[in-house]
Amino acid sequence: MGRAVLSGKNAFKIKQLLFLSLVFLIGCQSEKDEVSIRSENIDFSSKQSVAVTLSHHSVGENPINAVRQSGIAPEKIFIPAIGVEAAIQHLGKTKDGTMAVPDNIQEVSWFEPGYRPGQNGRAVIAGHVDGLDGPAIFWDLTQLEKGDKVIVEGEGKKLSFQVYAMESVPLEKADVSAVFSYTSSPELVLITCSGAYSRTLGTREERLIVYASYIDE
Amino acid sequence: MKKFLVLVAVALAMFFSTVSWAYAAETAKVRVVHASPDAPAVDVYVNGELTLENVAFKANSGYLDVPAGTHDVEVFANGSEYAEGEGVLQADLAVEAGKAYTAAAANTVDALEFVVAEDSMEVTEGKAKVRIGHLSPDAPAVDVGLIGGDALFSGAEFPGITDYSEVDAGTYDLEIRLPDGTQVLPLEGTELAAGTVYSIFAVNTADALEVLALVDYEQAGSPDGMPTTGLGTPDNKQSSWLLVMGGFILMVGASGFVWKKRVQN
Repeated sequence: MGRAVLSGKNAFKIKQLLFLSLVFLIGCQSEKDEVSIRSENIDFSSKQSVAVTLSHHSVGENPINAVRQSGIAPEKIFIPAIGVEAAIQHLGKTKDGTMAVPDNIQEVSWFEPGYRPGQNGRAVIAGHVDGLDGPAIFWDLTQLEKGDKVIVEGEGKKLSFQVYAMESVPLEKADVSAVFSYTSSPELVLITCSGAYSRTLGTREERLIVYASYIDE
Repeated sequence: MKKFLVLVAVALAMFFSTVSWAYAAETAKVRVVHASPDAPAVDVYVNGELTLENVAFKANSGYLDVPAGTHDVEVFANGSEYAEGEGVLQADLAVEAGKAYTAAAANTVDALEFVVAEDSMEVTEGKAKVRIGHLSPDAPAVDVGLIGGDALFSGAEFPGITDYSEVDAGTYDLEIRLPDGTQVLPLEGTELAAGTVYSIFAVNTADALEVLALVDYEQAGSPDGMPTTGLGTPDNKQSSWLLVMGGFILMVGASGFVWKKRVQN
């Protein structure tokens, strides 16, 4: 009698169960998930209008002293288009030399040894795309579009940046020095994980990089 | 005369090709400076594309990323229609990957010429790096040095850009002076910041000499790798969470099966 249940209705349920379990068990090995799907084909770059600048200094001021911009130590970031509002930690490198990130999913980190937001050069801010229980602070970064504003606050000032490009780059192809490089005007770079999860790498295979240029408001 | 515009065009070319910044790319950096005191504002076309618009005297483009290689650069007075080969200046500009350049359009409009220099993108920690550009067409050779002290640069002549000189960061009372010591332009309280590379160009005519200061590079740290910003951080357990879910479903199913079995029995 007991064996008979293996056929018929119960057998179907068992099969269903096994199937579901398999789906979950296999699912964790799977390369594709929501993050990787959301980060497909998101690259864009806009033709930036080249800012041709005249040197501006007040009469009598030493023009050499007017060319450097000090920027700010950022405390908070706001991205209204995707509802992001987060505290900014000041972090450097991890033991293995990569850019450090917060150990929580609500905050972001600014690479403190690099350029300051508002200073010439690319100031870099990173945040998690997901955590154990679902979306993290930069979950919606892929939804940003050209022209969206990113506001960074610190030292009593608010600086506005405008998104001009986005790309999802395989880790092994990423030119780290270019992402963190000097530019002749202040830029803000936002980074989060993208692409499929790699068990070998222990991280996602790509990084989503968003570029924003400073707008003097 | 025609070369000045060439550099400008290079910068534009980059903007018209979809350059991906994060990929190790074969690009060069080019900065264009309008240093011709009596020339009108210009538009610069690179490989036939409008790249810089309305560049006026003393304006600079900042560094533009352009593909390494040779680019056709043509310059037109601001607002004029583009016609291939009919620019007031044309040049084939060659740039090497990983290098940075300044292209200054110098001299008077009737003798416009292109002054090109390779820029430094490095400096010893704690030091400042400076160079001088003599871009004032009718000014004599000059020295740049401490007021009442030694010259940092001697005999800079038009049209030319000196090599860099590395100095301790700090505040200096500088002056532009003739070799005989006559002061041409005081630059008191010049702050040269640590980790910063400067280009100081003397522009305009001798009777209206002024300084155009540019920052070529500012030093900052860079990590060795990209951040780890997702699954696996802060806890490398998302996959184990899925395993647990799978296991849980199996357990529930199994126990349900057992329960049913019992009822049936």
